[in-house]
Amino acid sequence: MRVRRLPLILIGLLVAGLAVSGCAAPGASSDPGAAQSASAADDFNDPYEETNRGVFGFNQAVDEAVLVPVAKTYRTVLPPPVRQSVHDFLQNLDGPVIFANDMLQGEVKLAGNTLARLLLNTTVGIGGMFDVATLIGIPYHSNDLGITFAVWGFAAGPYVIVPVLGPSNPRDLAGRVGDGFGDPANYFASAHMLWAVVARTATTGIDERSRNIESLADIERTALDNYATIRSLYRQRREAQIRHEQSNLPNPTPIQGGDGAADPSLSYSIAK
Amino acid sequence: MIRRCAAVGALLVMVLVLATPRAAMAQDARGFIATLGEQAIQVLGPGVPEVQRQARFRVLFHDDFDLPGIGQFVLGRYWRVATPQEQQDFLALFQEYLVRAYSARLGQYGGEPFRVTGARPNGEETIVTSEIVRHNGSPIGVDWYLIGHGSFKITDVYVSGVSMKVTQRDEFASVIQRNGGQVAALIAQLRQKLAAAG
Repeated sequence: MRVRRLPLILIGLLVAGLAVSGCAAPGASSDPGAAQSASAADDFNDPYEETNRGVFGFNQAVDEAVLVPVAKTYRTVLPPPVRQSVHDFLQNLDGPVIFANDMLQGEVKLAGNTLARLLLNTTVGIGGMFDVATLIGIPYHSNDLGITFAVWGFAAGPYVIVPVLGPSNPRDLAGRVGDGFGDPANYFASAHMLWAVVARTATTGIDERSRNIESLADIERTALDNYATIRSLYRQRREAQIRHEQSNLPNPTPIQGGDGAADPSLSYSIAK
Repeated sequence: MIRRCAAVGALLVMVLVLATPRAAMAQDARGFIATLGEQAIQVLGPGVPEVQRQARFRVLFHDDFDLPGIGQFVLGRYWRVATPQEQQDFLALFQEYLVRAYSARLGQYGGEPFRVTGARPNGEETIVTSEIVRHNGSPIGVDWYLIGHGSFKITDVYVSGVSMKVTQRDEFASVIQRNGGQVAALIAQLRQKLAAAG
C-alpha cells in the first residue's frame, strides 16, 4: 500500500514544486509585512506554508478522530509486555533496510551493530519479539534512505506535510519510497501475502502513535503555534539523525545566520 | 571572645555552604548537572501536586537558567525591533510560559534513572552530556549547555539532538511573522495563553 501510493503523491508534489519554483518567492509581493518580516520560505524552508497548514489541519482531524482513539484502545487492551514485543518485532523487521543504509553511508560500525542485532534478535529473540541485543549493549539506531540521500549531499527540498503521513520533504519522501521498494520483507510479503504489508504499515503507525500520545498532546496544549513547533522539531530531529549523533556539537547560530534556511534548491533535488 | 567569634564564623560558613549546595558543587559542571538532576527528580515526582511543582520549577528556572540570555535568543532578530518595554514584558511572560509549559511537560517524567555521561568545552560554554535510561528502549540523550566558571547557568538543553531554545525561537518567529512582524502580537498571545491556563 505504502509502496503503491507514495510515488503518485511524490510525482504530484514534484510537479507542483516544479511549477512554483519557476516563480518568484510565493506571496512575497502580496504580503504587506514582507518588507520587515522575512517570509517563512526564507526562514523555515517552507514556501508552501499555507497549503501545508491546510494539510496539517486535516491530519490533526484524522489524528483526533481515528489514530488517537485506536492508539488509546491499543494501549488499553494489550498489556505493556505484549506491546513491547510488537514494537521489538516491528523494529527487527526494519533491520535489513537499516543495515543497507548504514552500508550506503559507509557507517561500517553501525552496520555491524545492525547486523549483530538482526541475527541475535531473530534467533535468540525468537523472530525479533525480544530485543536481546539491547540488553547486552548493542542498542537500536534508526536509519533510512532519506538520511542516506542527505549524507550523499542531496538537498532536502521544501518542507511538506503529506496527508496522513505528516511532516516530510522531497528527499525524505523519495527515501521512504526507496526503502519500501528495497525492503526484503515487502518483497516476500507482496509476493505471498499482501495483507501482511498492510498489517505491518498499520501496526507500525499504531505502535508509534501509542508511544507519543502524551508528548504530542502536551505540545499541542502548550504551543502558541503547534504547526511551527512541529516543523522545527522535524527539521532539527532529521538534522541530528543525519549527523548520526544523539547529542549536538555545534552551537546553534541565530536565524540571521540562516541555519534553518538551508536549502531552497528544489531544482537541484529534482534534477538528481 | 576570639574563640567564640571563630566558632560563630565557622558556623556561619557551614550554614552558608549547607544552604547553597549548588554553589559548593559549582566548580564542577558535571556535578552541577548531576545535582540539578537529583533536584529535578524530586521536583517532578509524580506525587507532587501541579501548583507546588510549578512553584518549585519557577525557583529552579530562576536560579539555574540564563533566562535573559535565552529570552533574547528566542526573540531572535525581533529583539532589536522590540521596544525596551516590550523586551521587559516579553522576558517576564516568557519565563512564566516556560514554567507552565515545562512543569506540565516534565510531569510525565516517571523518575527513570538520570546519569551524567560526560562534559566537554564548547567555546565559551561547557556541554554536559547526560542520559535518561528508559526501562524499555534506548536511552534518551540530554545535553546541557552551561555558561560561567565556578557558578553555572544553563543556556540551552538538547533532547535527542533537538534544541529547546531553537524550537522556541522558531515557534515565536513564526507567530511574529504571521502577525505582520509585530512583537506586540507575540506578547499578546503569550498573555492570552497564560490567562487561559489560569
